[in-house]
Amino acid sequence: MTTNRIHRRGFLQRSGAAVLGASTIALPQILPARVLGAAFTQPTPKDRLNIAHIGVGGMGNGHLGYMLARQSRGEVNVVAVCDVDEKRLGAAVKSTGGKATPYRDYRYILERKDVDAVVIATPDHWHACQTVHACQTGKHVYVEKPACCTIEEGKAMIRAAHENKMCVQVGSQGRSQREAFLAHQYIANGMIGKVHTVKCWHYATPSDDSPVADSEPPAELDWDLWLGPLPWRPYNARYLHGVFRWLLESGGGQIRDRGAHVMSNALHFMNADHTGPVSIETKGRIPTRGLWDSAIEMEVVYQFRSPDWTLIWAQPGEMVPYFDRDRVKREGIRESYGAVYHGDKDKPVVWVGDGQVYTEKKAVDFQKPAGGVDVPKSPRFDHHEDWFEGIKTGRKTIMNVEGGVATAFLCVLGNLSLIVNRKLAWDPVRQEIIGDEAARRLMSRPQRFPYVL
Amino acid sequence: MNKETSITATAIALAATTVSTAADAVAVNDLVAKIKSTDDAVRGPAWQGAGPVGAPAVAPLADVMSDVNFEIARSAKRAIEKIVRHAGRPGAIGERKAVAGELTRLLRHANANVRRHAVWMLSEIGDDDAVAPMAELLSDSDVREDARCALTRVPGAKAAGALKQAMATAPEEFKYALAESLRARGEEAPGYPSRKLVPTKQTKVKSQDKP
Repeated sequence: MTTNRIHRRGFLQRSGAAVLGASTIALPQILPARVLGAAFTQPTPKDRLNIAHIGVGGMGNGHLGYMLARQSRGEVNVVAVCDVDEKRLGAAVKSTGGKATPYRDYRYILERKDVDAVVIATPDHWHACQTVHACQTGKHVYVEKPACCTIEEGKAMIRAAHENKMCVQVGSQGRSQREAFLAHQYIANGMIGKVHTVKCWHYATPSDDSPVADSEPPAELDWDLWLGPLPWRPYNARYLHGVFRWLLESGGGQIRDRGAHVMSNALHFMNADHTGPVSIETKGRIPTRGLWDSAIEMEVVYQFRSPDWTLIWAQPGEMVPYFDRDRVKREGIRESYGAVYHGDKDKPVVWVGDGQVYTEKKAVDFQKPAGGVDVPKSPRFDHHEDWFEGIKTGRKTIMNVEGGVATAFLCVLGNLSLIVNRKLAWDPVRQEIIGDEAARRLMSRPQRFPYVL
Repeated sequence: MNKETSITATAIALAATTVSTAADAVAVNDLVAKIKSTDDAVRGPAWQGAGPVGAPAVAPLADVMSDVNFEIARSAKRAIEKIVRHAGRPGAIGERKAVAGELTRLLRHANANVRRHAVWMLSEIGDDDAVAPMAELLSDSDVREDARCALTRVPGAKAAGALKQAMATAPEEFKYALAESLRARGEEAPGYPSRKLVPTKQTKVKSQDKP
């Protein structure tokens, strides 16, 4: 797992480095929300977006590195950094050359009128509250995936983005990758016929094989703020950092961590962001000990209707080796997750799904015919760039809040079916579990005061 | 049905109840014994398979939540969750009510962790019958916040009424939390605006520009 995290962070750092090296490429001038409508001809430093980073460890540190690279080209200003871990916060301030203002409590950032946008890379249980609050205070949002932990949270995020006209990009950056675009184009242009099944594979969620007792939190950590909306409980070292992913409340296992990438691409390629399954059935094996309670292995079957297709999330599922072994060695391709798209004419494979996406040669080589179907494409295949363009133009981003929430709902419902140990029926229009009152109640999780939606 | 037939039927029913109770006791004792095992291979499958054991196991498991071995205590807690989710399945009204009844009794348990867990579990399967005992915990300083959250999730006018009623007597600071619950349920809470955007926590880390 450590390897993967470093790998993803490495991707962001490489992206930043690539941006730095590409200083001759013309980039769109970003227009901050606060000066929209103002007449100006020459961009000045005050016209750049002022960015604040909420959560600066792990992926958050990668995002910060990316933005600092853009700042060095004069494209944005990184004005604030925030973390509930003072050590991480101190390191982040240092990485900005001491220029960014540090905060422990993100709400100080929301009070600042000069902040245009926030990058949220906190544990999952904070994503919805912070996104909603940022939208309500007039900040554009880039939020890490998965978008939300409950159905209620997802609906609130969409509502807040729409009501406040804020651009929200969810961090399933796989959609912006070049070969994701090519695979999408191949499928959308009918090259595999009618898609009836998408089978994902991913390696297992780790288990906590060395559980430890609750203890006092480390001095540098504000445990109350880390917990935020979650019910109070004593600190335990197995909650953080990074490993929050393996708890249902704060993460939800691989189906949420990587399902939010692999299944994001599936919804995108199937043009299904505004639909949803009608049934969800999960089988799985959960750890017998330790604090982490996410399924080690699991299989979730999602049935979609009109059009009819089946999405299967399987840990571990059936891994398909990448066809070019030299490229695997050369680029460090992680074959251990991906999806096969089963059509009635062909079944192409899409490997990985987040910071890297790869597909088969036939899809890469495919030339869209005149009059063929156009599919969305992020500028320069850069997920952040797509967000900036969304802010500037008002157009929907490639992983907009609806897509992010739709993907997160798949992850949430997959886990819910396992939690209640039964098949769930879902109304994709009303976005509600139907015919099961106890499961319906789990569509929300009341939040601890004052950390509420 | 004549009198003789009725007596026979009653006797059979009583016998069946006795057999059922005895079977329940065996199942509960077996479950609790396994949950108390320090062997993960014994304890793990026990709590994971606890669902069908049902209501009779709830109180004994709650007592195990105080075990000094944190893995055993956690297993007991999770076994209760399994029972609640099993009883919550559609159509299992009798089982759900029986489990909810046991959870309601736990709201007066001496261990605050048990009270806390019981009230959260009732948020999943409790109905109007559970509301008043849950609302009593709104004046329990150890678990009142959990009780507030739990009541927020219970549907119906009775739960909303309990939250409103608590506004009259709650400590002033807690009224802001109750107001959030009411707003989440679509109710008004005049005089107690949201504090969700009010920052409260200062960092000790300094930036270069503002030493």
